[in-house]
Order: sequence, then C-alpha cells, then structure tokens
Amino acid sequence: MTDSIIKIENVFKEYKVPNGQNVKALSGVSLEVSKNEFVCLVGPSGCGKTTLLNIVAGLEPFDSGKVTMHGENIIGPGPERGVIFQQYALFPWMTVRKNIEYGMKFLRAPNGKIRYDEKEKREIADYYIKMVNLTGFENSFPKALSGGMKQRVAIARAYAQSPEVLLMDEPFGALDAQTRAQLQEDLLHTWQEEKKTVLFITHDVDEAVLLATRVVILSARPGRIKEIVDISLPYPRNQATKMDPEFIKYRNYIWDTVYKMFLEVRK
Amino acid sequence: MAAPHQRLEFLTEDHPQTKNHRRKLKDFSDASRKMRLSLNIGSVLIGFLLWYFITLIPSINTFLASPKQVYAALISESAANGRYFKDISISLQRILIGFGLAFIASIPVAFLMGWYPRVRSIVEPWIQFFRTIPPIALIPLVILAMGLGEPPKYTIIFVAAFLVMVVTIYQGIKEVDKTLIKAAYTMGASDRDIFWDIMIPASFPFILVGARLGMAASLTTLIAAELTGTTFGLGARIQGAQQFMDTSIVLLGIITIGIIGFLLDKILLLIEKRLTRWK
Repeated sequence: MTDSIIKIENVFKEYKVPNGQNVKALSGVSLEVSKNEFVCLVGPSGCGKTTLLNIVAGLEPFDSGKVTMHGENIIGPGPERGVIFQQYALFPWMTVRKNIEYGMKFLRAPNGKIRYDEKEKREIADYYIKMVNLTGFENSFPKALSGGMKQRVAIARAYAQSPEVLLMDEPFGALDAQTRAQLQEDLLHTWQEEKKTVLFITHDVDEAVLLATRVVILSARPGRIKEIVDISLPYPRNQATKMDPEFIKYRNYIWDTVYKMFLEVRK
Repeated sequence: MAAPHQRLEFLTEDHPQTKNHRRKLKDFSDASRKMRLSLNIGSVLIGFLLWYFITLIPSINTFLASPKQVYAALISESAANGRYFKDISISLQRILIGFGLAFIASIPVAFLMGWYPRVRSIVEPWIQFFRTIPPIALIPLVILAMGLGEPPKYTIIFVAAFLVMVVTIYQGIKEVDKTLIKAAYTMGASDRDIFWDIMIPASFPFILVGARLGMAASLTTLIAAELTGTTFGLGARIQGAQQFMDTSIVLLGIITIGIIGFLLDKILLLIEKRLTRWK
C-alpha cells in the first residue's frame, strides 16, 4: 500500500502501576491505514484498543516505536484527526449549532488567516446538521437530546472540521440496539458521501464487519495485532447485509477468534 | 450441586410475609407545587401560632418576646427616629462588600489552583489550615491591626466567604469532565482556549454554588463581625438589646437577618437558573 496515511510502527506502551506489576497495554503493534479506508479494531476488553486510538489521536504518549501521519511524527492532537468519543463529549453549555461550529474557529488557511468567517461557519454547520438529520434542533442544548442524537451531533462536529482522519472510540457503545443500527447506517451513508479515513474501535463484531473495509483483531495483554481480515463485501451496505452468507462467514470467523482469546485471558 | 437454601414459595393471601408486599410503595417524587406551597405556608403559620401561645406563659415571656411585642419593636424601630433601616443598610453594606471582595478574589485563586499544580501545592495547606478556624477567633487580631472602623468587619466576612468559595469553586474546577478538555484539544484548541472556552463555562455552576455558600457564610459571620465595637448594624443591635434584656429587639434582629439571607439566596438562585439554563 503506497498511499498509507497513518503508519504505526512497532509501538510499545506500558502503564505504570504503583506497587504492582506494570501493565503492558501495547506490545509491538504495527499497522498502516490507507486513504479512505475504514478500519475497525476489535478485541477483548483490555487489549489496548483505546490506548492505540489515543496514541494516534495524540492524546497519550507511548514508550517506543513510531506513529506517523503522512510521514510526519504525531506529537499531539490536531484538527486533521477528528475524534469521536463514546460519551459524546458535547459541550453542554453550547447549542447544537454552537457545538458544531466550535472546532472551526481553530482552523487556519495556509496564509495563517482564520479559515472561515461567522457566515461560512454557519453555512457549514447547517450543511452537516442537515446531513445528520438534526434540522430543527439547531438551538437545542445537548441535555434535551437522546443519546443517538447526541452522537450525531458529535459526528457532525467532527465532519465540520473536515479532518482527513476520523478516530472513533466505541461511538455507539452506549446506545440501544435500534439506535445503534440506525447510526451505523447513517455513518456508512455519511462516509460514502464524504470519504474519510476511519479508525473505529468496537467490541461488537457485527458492527465491525458491517462497517469496515478491514477488521484488525487485537489480542489482549499484551495488546498486539493477532490478525487482519479484509472485508470484501461491496458497499453500499446496510442492516440487510447482515443476512449475506459472506457477512456471516466473516462475522463467525472473527467472533470465534476474539472469543477464544477472551476465554484464554479469563483462565 | 444443590443451593444451600430452599426455593421461595408463592406469596398467597394468608402467607405471613404477604402484608409486607401489599402495601403502597413509598413515593419519592416531589409533592405538587400547590401542595408544597400550602405545606410551606401552613408550617410557618403553625410556628407563629406556637410562638404566640408559648409566650402567653409569663415565665417564658421574660426571655422570649411575643409576636405582638416584636411587631411593636418593628414599629418603633422603623419609626422616623428609629434605627431599623440604618441597621439593615449598614449590615447589608458590610455583607455585600465583604462578600463581593471575597467573590472577586476567590475565582482567580481557585482557577490558578485548578490550572497550576504548583500553585495548588502552595496554597492548599493555608486554606486547609484557615478553614478549621472560626473567623470569630480572628477578631482580636483584626481589631489590633485595623482598629474599630469598617475595615475589620469587611475583613472578617471576607475571610469567611473567601475560604468557602475558594474550596467550592476549586472542587468544581477539578470535576470538569476531562473528556470535554480532550475533545477540545483534538479540535486544535490551545491551553488558553481550553481555559476560556471550556474550564470557565464548565465550572460556572460551581461558581454559583460557591457564591451561595459564600453568601450564607457572610451572613452567619456578620454577627461576629459586628462584635468588633460598632454601634450600628443588625448584629450590634442584637448585642445591645441583650444588655437591656429587650428580647423583642433581639428577635426582630434575628428574623430580619433570616429574611435578608432568604432573599439574597433567592436572588442568587435566580441568577443561577438564568445563567445555567443548559444544565
């Protein structure tokens, strides 16, 4: 793959535990993510999925190895890597529109000037509000929204900054099954309309197979890459794709692999 | 392997445990607005009646004035040559100045503590130390340092309100959801942006809670502050009336302080509701 955007090379990370054995979170993880790929990371809990995502986001340091974007070392967070959190992380004192507009104030044009003026920010926010089906809620505060709607705001907020890479940390993990199914379809739709490179963490194997172009299976303690499965199901996909025998084959295979590791860790 | 206990039988009408399961479950929700209001008013009325009746007993009336006597005191004190309104305004002025200065000072201190771990380590032992000391204990020192004018009263109220507010606001700043800070960082926010755009609005509710606690502390310290040799003020008036065993004036002062406290708290509550509608 020549056009890889994110390159993770041999990354090690240990958490220091006072009065105890240090926890090896990542132990020699290497992964390349190419342009417009949708990569899902799955693995038993405690396998370091979130750690890996935080490292790519620039939110956490690591002990050794190399993490680059376009060949440049990732040394901190940046707007070209949008992050979507499981707990939405909406600013509760801002309305839906203000939340979506907020990140745009940090964007600079190549000449150093602020990229968007107030009017442009508003237009962009409106565009994404429409895209995630939140028209009519522009002036609502987050507390008035359901979990699914909050996460749609978070997705719109990330898209509004137009990042090259989207990092999603179990974004649908806190939602009920129906809302989750709907948001999966919405996300697929959004992603096809406006392609991004996505790194998506989930413990839901069905979700991973439904969304991803590639599923990366991580093993637990120490976290390392166990296997990478290319999902060659054609897009557009939707919930009906889950009936596809191909889908079921992928799903069963990955589920088995993850569950076996889970049982081993429990021993 | 069998569990070491028996399976529970279905609870029939005549089962000894049944009556426990047939009762109405306790309702923890608030009473209706109308109900609450009428209970509030009823409770106050009953209190008044109780007060009225026990002060009919002469032996009690010697140390507790009756509502009628307090009303008479109110009339004479608020008459043209009375001092009631002067006492109120001078006490209010002391509370508002002491509290206001404490409010202005506590916010930056709390934020510096929340933002810079080193500042926290420097300031924290002092706050922990002074928190346990009742401000009234500082009075001799404050009088020696500042004399008998207004500044010592402001100082005592300031100390009381400042400590409460710094601690409350600082706690609030520590509670700010770290995910929000992370989210802002990933959007490209600088430390300065995080401070102004996230920390301040996120801790706004705590600032207002701190203000309410600080206001309550100011009021309770007022009497102590007015012990420092002054002729005017509600606290001073209560002290003075005690020497003449005029309990109607003492009660009038107490009730007035209570009402002032109630009103100030309601005002802050209103501001809080207004400013944190997003909560």
